[in-house]
Amino acid sequence: MVERTPLLNLLTHAILVVGLLMLMLPLWIVFVASTHDFRTVNTVPMPLWPGAHMVENYVTTWNQSQFGPKMLNSLIMAVGVTTGKIVLAALSAYSIVYFRYRLRMVFFWLIFITLMLPLEVRIVPTYAVAANALRPFQEIINVLGLSALTDLLFGVRIVLPEAQLLNSYAGLILPLIATATGTFLYRQFFLTVPEELLEAAKMDGTGPLRFFWDILLPLSKANMAALATIMFVYSWNQYLWPLLVVTDPAYGTAVMQLQRIVPGPLFGEPPRWHIAMAGTLMVMLPPLLVVVFMQRWFVRGLINQDK
Amino acid sequence: MLKKRMIGAAFAAVATFCTMVPDAVAQQRQRFEYWYGLTGQLGEVMADHCRRFNESQTRFEAVCVGQGGYDRAEQNTIAAYRARQHPTVVQIYDAGTVNFMLSGVTYNAVNFARDFNMRINWSDYFPGVASYYATSRGEMWSFPYNSSTAMLYWNRQAFASIGRTAAPTTWQELERDMRAMKAAGHACPMAIDFDAWQFEQLSAIHNQPIATRDNGYGGLNAELLINRGFLPMHISNMRRWLDEGLMRIQTAQTGKTIVQAFADSSCALAITSIANHGVVSATQSEGMQWGVAMLPVYEGTSRTNSLVGGASLWVLQGKSRGEYEGAAAFLDWIATPAEVQWMPTVTGYIPITTPAFQQMMAGGFYNQARYAGREISIQSLTFTPPTANSRGIRLGNYTSIRSEIQSELQAAFTGQKSVQQALDDATARGNQILRRFEQTMRGRELP
Amino acid sequence: MSGKRVTFDRHWLALLLILPQMLLVFVFFYWPTGEALFWAFTLEPPFGGDMQWVGWQNFITVMEDPLYWNSVRRSVVFALSSTAIAMGIGMLLALFVDRELPGYRGFRFVFFWPYAVAAPAVGLAFRFIFAPDAGFVSAINQWFPGLWNPALDGVDAMILITLANAWSMVAYNFIFFLAGLQSIPRSLVEAGAMDGSGVLRRMRDIQLPLIAPTVFFLIVINVTDSFVNSFGIVDITTGGGPARATDLMVFKIYSDGFKGKDYSLAAAQSIILMGLVVLLTFFQFKYVERRVHYT
Repeated sequence: MVERTPLLNLLTHAILVVGLLMLMLPLWIVFVASTHDFRTVNTVPMPLWPGAHMVENYVTTWNQSQFGPKMLNSLIMAVGVTTGKIVLAALSAYSIVYFRYRLRMVFFWLIFITLMLPLEVRIVPTYAVAANALRPFQEIINVLGLSALTDLLFGVRIVLPEAQLLNSYAGLILPLIATATGTFLYRQFFLTVPEELLEAAKMDGTGPLRFFWDILLPLSKANMAALATIMFVYSWNQYLWPLLVVTDPAYGTAVMQLQRIVPGPLFGEPPRWHIAMAGTLMVMLPPLLVVVFMQRWFVRGLINQDK
Repeated sequence: MLKKRMIGAAFAAVATFCTMVPDAVAQQRQRFEYWYGLTGQLGEVMADHCRRFNESQTRFEAVCVGQGGYDRAEQNTIAAYRARQHPTVVQIYDAGTVNFMLSGVTYNAVNFARDFNMRINWSDYFPGVASYYATSRGEMWSFPYNSSTAMLYWNRQAFASIGRTAAPTTWQELERDMRAMKAAGHACPMAIDFDAWQFEQLSAIHNQPIATRDNGYGGLNAELLINRGFLPMHISNMRRWLDEGLMRIQTAQTGKTIVQAFADSSCALAITSIANHGVVSATQSEGMQWGVAMLPVYEGTSRTNSLVGGASLWVLQGKSRGEYEGAAAFLDWIATPAEVQWMPTVTGYIPITTPAFQQMMAGGFYNQARYAGREISIQSLTFTPPTANSRGIRLGNYTSIRSEIQSELQAAFTGQKSVQQALDDATARGNQILRRFEQTMRGRELP
Repeated sequence: MSGKRVTFDRHWLALLLILPQMLLVFVFFYWPTGEALFWAFTLEPPFGGDMQWVGWQNFITVMEDPLYWNSVRRSVVFALSSTAIAMGIGMLLALFVDRELPGYRGFRFVFFWPYAVAAPAVGLAFRFIFAPDAGFVSAINQWFPGLWNPALDGVDAMILITLANAWSMVAYNFIFFLAGLQSIPRSLVEAGAMDGSGVLRRMRDIQLPLIAPTVFFLIVINVTDSFVNSFGIVDITTGGGPARATDLMVFKIYSDGFKGKDYSLAAAQSIILMGLVVLLTFFQFKYVERRVHYT
C-alpha cells in the first residue's frame, strides 16, 4: 500500500527503533559479558563494549561442558515435543470444534486446566509416574477389582509391566506434550474458519478425515508455524523437569548443562559470569535459529488466505 | 573361497574379542551413584574429586551427577526416593540435616562405617564439625565433607589509613574503627546483607541460644529465642550504624554482594564465609592488602566456638551390597589425610580432620600468601569445645525460618518496622513453622 | 461458549481423535496432580511414610496468613500490569511491522529473539541492568540519589519483575499478533483504504476486530502465564523481596514446597491458585469471548 503519511511513518520508525533497543539491550549485555575475562566481567559496572576474550571463552565453555552431545539431546527432545504437540493438539482441537458430542466441552476444559498448575508444584508425583508410567493404570485395575476378578476366573492377576521412562527421550518428551497451549490455539483458529467451507465439503460428500487433511490443515499453516516455534523454544528451555528425570549424563540437555555452570548463591563460588554468559549464548542459539528460520511462514503471500 | 571365509571369520573373532575385553573389564567395576549439589566451579571440583577416585582404583566406579543446587539436590533425592530411583550417596547442605535425620531412609554413618569396615576414625573430625552432623547422643549420622565457618574480612590498607594494624576483636573496637574510617573519608566502612547465617554464628560465639531445647537438639518442641537478649541488641546496633552510614547494604539485588564489595575495595569490612577466601583472592582489586580475622565479640564476653557451614554426605537405604561397598570405598578415600588436604587447595573450604590440619600446618600450607590467614578459621571453629549453644542448629524446616528472618530484617532495615517488631514477627512466624513441622513429624523423635 | 453451526456426526471418530491427548494428560497431569492435591488435606512428610489426615487445616492456615493475602494482591497487580504492557507493546510493534515500511524485515527478524532466551538468563540480564549500584539505571541514582533501588524499595522491585516478564512476553505476543495480522486478506484492508480510511482508522476498525480471536487467546495466555510461570523471573531478580514485596503466589508455593519441603502447605496454596486462575479464565471465556466474532 503506497500512501503518503510521512509523519506516521516517522512515528512508526521511531517506535520500532525504541522497541528494538528495549528488546535488544539485555541480549547485548549477555553478549558483552561473554567476551570479557574473569576479572573484567566482575568489575562493577561492567564495561558496555565487548572485550577481547570471546573465542577463548566460547572454546573453554564448549569443551569443559561437552555441549556437543548435550545440544543433540536438547534437539531430539525439542523436536519430539514440537512434533508431538502439533499433531496431538490439532487432532484434539478438531474433535472439540467440529464434532458435537456431549463430553466435548468437558474434554476441552480438562485439557485447558493443565495450563493452570505450574510444574514445580506437581513435580514430585510426576517423577513417580515417569518412573513407572503404567502405574496409574495398574492402580485403577487394582481398585476396580479387575485384577481380583481375573484371578478368580483365570487364576492370574493382571500385572502391567513397568514402563520406566527415566533417563530416556520418552521421559523427556512425553510429559511436556501433556499441556494445552496447542489445543487452545488450534481451537481459536478453527473457530475462524468459515462455515461455508464445511458445508461445501459435506455437500461434496467429503468425510471428516479428508476434510481435516485436505482443507483444514493447509489453512492452518501460519498457526502451525507459530505453534512449532513456541513449542520448540519452550521445550528447549526447560530446565526443571529434565534435571529431575535425567540423571545419566548421556541424556543431559544443553540447558541442564547451563545450570551447572551458572554460579549459584553459594559461599565460595567464584562468579565465572563470562563462562556462564558464553554458555547462555550458545544454548540460546538453536532456538534463535529456529525462530529466524520459521519467520518466512509468517510472510504474507505464502498463505492462501483469500478463501 | 575358503581362505576368504576363514580370514573373514578370524577378523570377526578378533573384532568381537577386542570389543569384549574392554566390556568385560568395564563390567567388572561396581557402579554406584553419588549426587552432589554444588554448581559452577565448585561443582567441577566435586566432579573432579569423583574422577580422581575412579582413577585411583579399578574396583568401583562412582557415577557422580550434579543436581544444580543444594535445594534441588535435596528435592530431587526426595522425589527419587519416593520412586525408589535414588542414589547411594548424596551431598546435603547443613539446613537439610533435620529432614534427613527424621526421614527414616538414611543408612546412618556410624552403622554404615561399622557394617562395611570403614577405616574412618570418628575422633579425627573437629568437634565443632562433628557435632553438627551427630545426634544428641554424639553418634554421627552423615559424613562431613565441605565445611566452612564465618570470618571477618578486613582491608589492611583502609585500617592503615586510620593508624591500625590489626583487625578489631570486639564490636566496640569495630564501631570505633568504622567511625574513624568514615571520618577519614571512607564511603563504606562495612558491607552487610540480610543473611541469617551471620546471626547464628554471632549467637554461637557469644554462647547465646537462638532456640530453646539447646537450639533444637533436645526435641521438636523447640521455640525460637531470637527476639530476646543478644540479637535484638546487636541488630539494633546494626540498624543504628546503617542509619549513620557506617554500614551499607550490599546484596545481589543492589548489584554487588558483600564479597564483591569487599573484593573491589569499596567496602573495608565484611562478615562472610571462609569459603569465599579463594573468590576474594581471585577477584580482588590490584594491590589490595587484606586479611581474615575471627568474628568480633562484645566486650566482656568470653568467646565460644563458631558454627560449621557447608554440606555433608549421606548414605541412603535400599541399595545393593555392591553399591554400598563402592560407597564405603569412596567415603573412606575422601577421609584420608591426602584427600582432606586436597579440598582446601582447590576451594576455600577448610580441612575437617585434625591429622590433616596438622599436616598442612607442618607442611607450611598456611605460609603461602594465597592461603594465609585461613588457619584462623580453624581457630575460630575450635576455640572452645562446643557448648549447648554452639553445637549447631537443629530446627525443622530451617530454610523457611531463615527466609522469614531475612524478610523481616529487610523490613527493619528499610524502615518499615522497628527492629524489635521485626524480630517479634519473625519469631512468631518461625514458631508457626516449627509447630507445623512438629505436627507433620508426629510419632518421630529427633535422634 | 462459541461453536460451529455445521459439524460432523461420527462421534466415535471424535473420541478417537481426542484419545491420545487425553491419555497423556491423564497420566502426566491429572494423576500426579491428584496425588499432589491430596497432600493438601494431609500433613505429608518429605520422604513419605505415615501422614496424617488434617482436613481443612492447611487451607485455614493459608487463608489466615496475612502474608498469603499479600502475595495474592501482588500476583494480581503483577498479572494485570505485565499483561497490559506486554500486549500493548506487542500489538503496537506488530501493527507497525505489518505496515511493511522499508526495513520492516530487519525489525521483524529481531523482535522474535527475546522469546528464545531462557527465563534464568532474562532474569540475570534484568537484574544486572536495573541494579542500583551496578546497572545502567544507576545513572539515575547519580542525579536523584536513592530514587531507584529495587533491593530496598518494594515498588521498584515490583516494577523490575513486571518489566522483565513483559519483555519475554512481548516477543511471544508479537509472533501471534503478526501471524494474525498477516492472515487478514489484503483485499479487505485495501478496500478500507479505497474508502478513504487512514492508517490509524484502518487499524482500529478493520485490523483489530479481525484479530480479536488472537487478542482473546493472548489475554488468556498472558494472564495465566503471569500467574503460573512467573517463578523463574522472581527467583533470579528479586528473590521475593524486599520484605516480600515481590512474593508472588507461585514463588511462595515454590519456597514453601520446594525449598521448605512443606508439601502440604504448597499443595493447599496450589489448589487456591489453580482455582483462582480457573475462575479468571472462566470469566474471560464467558464475558470477553462474547465480544469476539469468529467469522
